[in-house]
Amino acid sequence: MKNEVVLEVKNLKTHFISKKGIAKAVDGIDFVLRRGETLGIVGESGCGKSMTSLSILRLIPSPPGKIVDGEILLNGKDLVKMSNEELRKIRGNQISMIFQEPMTSLNPVIPVGEQIAEALRLHQGLSKRQAWDKSVEMIGLVGIPSPEKRAKQEPFQLSGGMRQRIMIAMALACTPEVLIADEPTTALDVTIQAQILEIMKDLQKKIGMGIIFITHDLGVVAEMCDQVGVMYAGQIVEHQNSATLFRNPLHPYTQGLIGSLPKLYENQEELQIIEGTVPSPYDYPDGCRFAERCPFAQKMCIEKQPELIQYDEDMKVRCWKYTAQWQEESSSREMVTQ
Amino acid sequence: MFLFILKRLAQIVPVILGVTLVVFLIMQMVPGDSAVILAGEGASIETVEELRENLGLNKPLYEQYFSYIANVFQGDFGNSLKNNQPVLDEIMIRLPITMELAFFSILITIVLGLIAGIISAIRPYSLSDIGVMVVALLGISLPSFWLGLLLMYVFSIKLQWLPVAGWDSAAHIILPAITLGAGGAAIVARMTRSSMLEVVGQDYVRTARAKGLKEHVIIYKHALRNALIPVITVVGLQFGSLLGGTVLVESVFAINGIGRMIVDAIRTRDIPMVQGGVLIASLVFVFVNLLVDIMYRVFNKRIDLN
Amino acid sequence: MKTTEIEKQPILQVSGLKQHFVLKKEVIFQSKQVVKAVDGISFDLFPGETLSIVGESGCGKSTTGRSILRLDEPTEGNVLFKGQSLTKMNKRELRNIRGDIQVIFQDPYASLNPRRTIRQMLEEAMAIQKVLPPNQRESRMLELMKHVGLRPEYLERYPHEFSGGQRQRIGIARALAVNPKIIICDEAVSALDVSIQAQILNLLKKLQKDFDLTFLFISHDLSVVRHISDRVMVMYLGKIVELSDTASLFKNPLHPYTKALLSAIPVTDQTQRKERIILKGDVPSPINPPAGCRFHTRCPFATDLCQSEEPILRESQNQHFVACHYAENLSS
Repeated sequence: MKNEVVLEVKNLKTHFISKKGIAKAVDGIDFVLRRGETLGIVGESGCGKSMTSLSILRLIPSPPGKIVDGEILLNGKDLVKMSNEELRKIRGNQISMIFQEPMTSLNPVIPVGEQIAEALRLHQGLSKRQAWDKSVEMIGLVGIPSPEKRAKQEPFQLSGGMRQRIMIAMALACTPEVLIADEPTTALDVTIQAQILEIMKDLQKKIGMGIIFITHDLGVVAEMCDQVGVMYAGQIVEHQNSATLFRNPLHPYTQGLIGSLPKLYENQEELQIIEGTVPSPYDYPDGCRFAERCPFAQKMCIEKQPELIQYDEDMKVRCWKYTAQWQEESSSREMVTQ
Repeated sequence: MFLFILKRLAQIVPVILGVTLVVFLIMQMVPGDSAVILAGEGASIETVEELRENLGLNKPLYEQYFSYIANVFQGDFGNSLKNNQPVLDEIMIRLPITMELAFFSILITIVLGLIAGIISAIRPYSLSDIGVMVVALLGISLPSFWLGLLLMYVFSIKLQWLPVAGWDSAAHIILPAITLGAGGAAIVARMTRSSMLEVVGQDYVRTARAKGLKEHVIIYKHALRNALIPVITVVGLQFGSLLGGTVLVESVFAINGIGRMIVDAIRTRDIPMVQGGVLIASLVFVFVNLLVDIMYRVFNKRIDLN
Repeated sequence: MKTTEIEKQPILQVSGLKQHFVLKKEVIFQSKQVVKAVDGISFDLFPGETLSIVGESGCGKSTTGRSILRLDEPTEGNVLFKGQSLTKMNKRELRNIRGDIQVIFQDPYASLNPRRTIRQMLEEAMAIQKVLPPNQRESRMLELMKHVGLRPEYLERYPHEFSGGQRQRIGIARALAVNPKIIICDEAVSALDVSIQAQILNLLKKLQKDFDLTFLFISHDLSVVRHISDRVMVMYLGKIVELSDTASLFKNPLHPYTKALLSAIPVTDQTQRKERIILKGDVPSPINPPAGCRFHTRCPFATDLCQSEEPILRESQNQHFVACHYAENLSS
């Protein structure tokens, strides 16, 4: 049961088409999510991680956004090809989502209990009374004291941490198979973040859903995730177990990212930095998208885009360094210099 | 909430004082002497002076004002200079007519405005949106007396579907109410549209969609309730200009309401009548505003905190 | 920072600083509500050091920065800059002193005038503070751009043409333009991606050395604070709960709040992970802060004493101050 694949994304491409041109926000993403497992998608702003998460439930603003290619398979059924009505029955039911801003993601004029209950009535066919009771139960389950009272309150009467708990209660009310969490703790203070992460882990054990955890925070990834995909410029550049990723990052970008983190228990005179800036999504280079900033870049990196290759079991990387061609080229280079 | 209402009610007193003072002063400033007008053409100076004496018009201004205020707070609005009937009686006959007209007009403003605004907002920049917005632009630009005459010409004279003027049956209400409500409806439509478009882009609407809610639930339950908050304020303001509009519309459709009464009274320098009419109109306006503020709070409980 | 350096005269002395905001009353008879954003804090800032103020939202760290500059007029307390009282200065004197104390904000874009080029902004800053005779300003600007790592031709551009990291560099250049002694960095790197954040942190460190700057660094991010500071001050609900040099604060936090805060930070190296102390509930409202120790409502070690008596900030170990009745008993 546990290792069963629930969600598979194949070659997903979400582009934004406007007068400025085509922005390839998500440009060929593949991953697999298993039951009970947490997959982290990590990257810096503009890398396409949020667009990937919104694409799964087809929530990207359209126009200008459009899924131009790829498959999103939930238990083998392709969400991309589904009718709106079919997809609507999956949203909030089999796949649900929590967002970054607990302040703005809840409707300000509807009591929070009702915001949870409405999904229950819709997807599970509960009566008004049953849905309300279940909603109160969920609010208790995410650790909010006096849930009956809280359920009747409106979001402005709750703290940021509580609102995010409400979001989680709402997302998990229909016991989904997949939970997409888009930067769920970014807007929260660290002590509140710790509470929320704890609750999420707890409920995952109870409900057994797979979680896609979108974040820019490497620490949170290390804490929460089993698998990690590192995104750069609309693509996954590295995919590993989170346990090995931080010990043995393969891609030069991942290495740079980890190096640029200030360490909590170490003295560093200077932080490692990644030179340059991210290329524009309107105009990606032909070769490796990181080549321009990469300290190891060779001629081949600039000329041709590397594929995401299997480096080892559970380790994938999109970098020429780990290919046979690289070995050949560097040995031929050595011969030339000799 | 209770304290809030109490506080707002207390604020009415200075508003009333202000209104009476302003009206009183303006009536003093306009050319024309009520005693002369009242005495009629060719009356002797003695008659005019006597009339002036009887009406207390020769006393200092502030004395006139204070005795008026004192009387008003006892429910005495004075007597009409024209026929010596109590002003309040006259108002009480006409007020229900004007209120009825105002009620149906504001109903048209709200219902028509909201429907048009929502139609526009659901598919922005579509043909239906552009159509609605062009009509709304016309609604704002057309002066109401002109619209009234146009409607009268088409529906009463040409098609003969509705009565031309007067205030006898339900059919008589339709044209004046549309005339009076159209401008407001146009403004409400534009406000609803822009407010809806803003709300539809909010995070919580995305959340509602991610929950799998049906599109009409998203629009009517999640978006509209938030979009209405600014619209309520606009409706409240519209009521003010609507009251002003009754003056014109009642004249055009020959309706014996407060508006027409005030116009007639101004023409004859019937100061107590003008003051009484304006005072009642402003009281109505103040109460409607209070109602709007209460509604605003019901829809948006957050402002109770700040 | 070595102890010998700490014995220097402080460049900025803050004593008994309070910043209370009175909430607007809804109804006439309602009792007055006061937000005690900063409620009696005292500390010294020494030349050349970086002192960080760290804490969660609502702890008063940003308000402290604003009060020092009198961007918000402090309710009570005194701030001495090189012995002169900022709180007693009139507007003109204060304007002169503002050249010595500069601020960099979290969102550089909001603090840069969108209709002015970088050149106009820098020129204006220098003109207001009369830093240099006009004929020398040009070379100074080019120098500044070089210092913050921007190309000289960027001088002619407008703020919207830059990325977040570049805008923060512009903010830094503008602050540097007037030769400040102290720079208050209010969440200056919080909005930036880690790789950009690293660039800015490195830049700040370098500039500090080159220009002999003193930083008051306000941040919620403890790893950033760890990296940049000599000393750290932890705030909770308007009070200082702990103040110490960086190394000993991170190695040996004394206050239970600091311990919880440190343990809550997710780290990439799971072997270094501390046993997590999860605090219950939310930070109480600063309108009616808890009596006694303000942390007692969430503290796992609180006793009756903590509810009734407010602990004072005292030196528990050498130069390590803490406001907790039981700090010594809790040390592990």
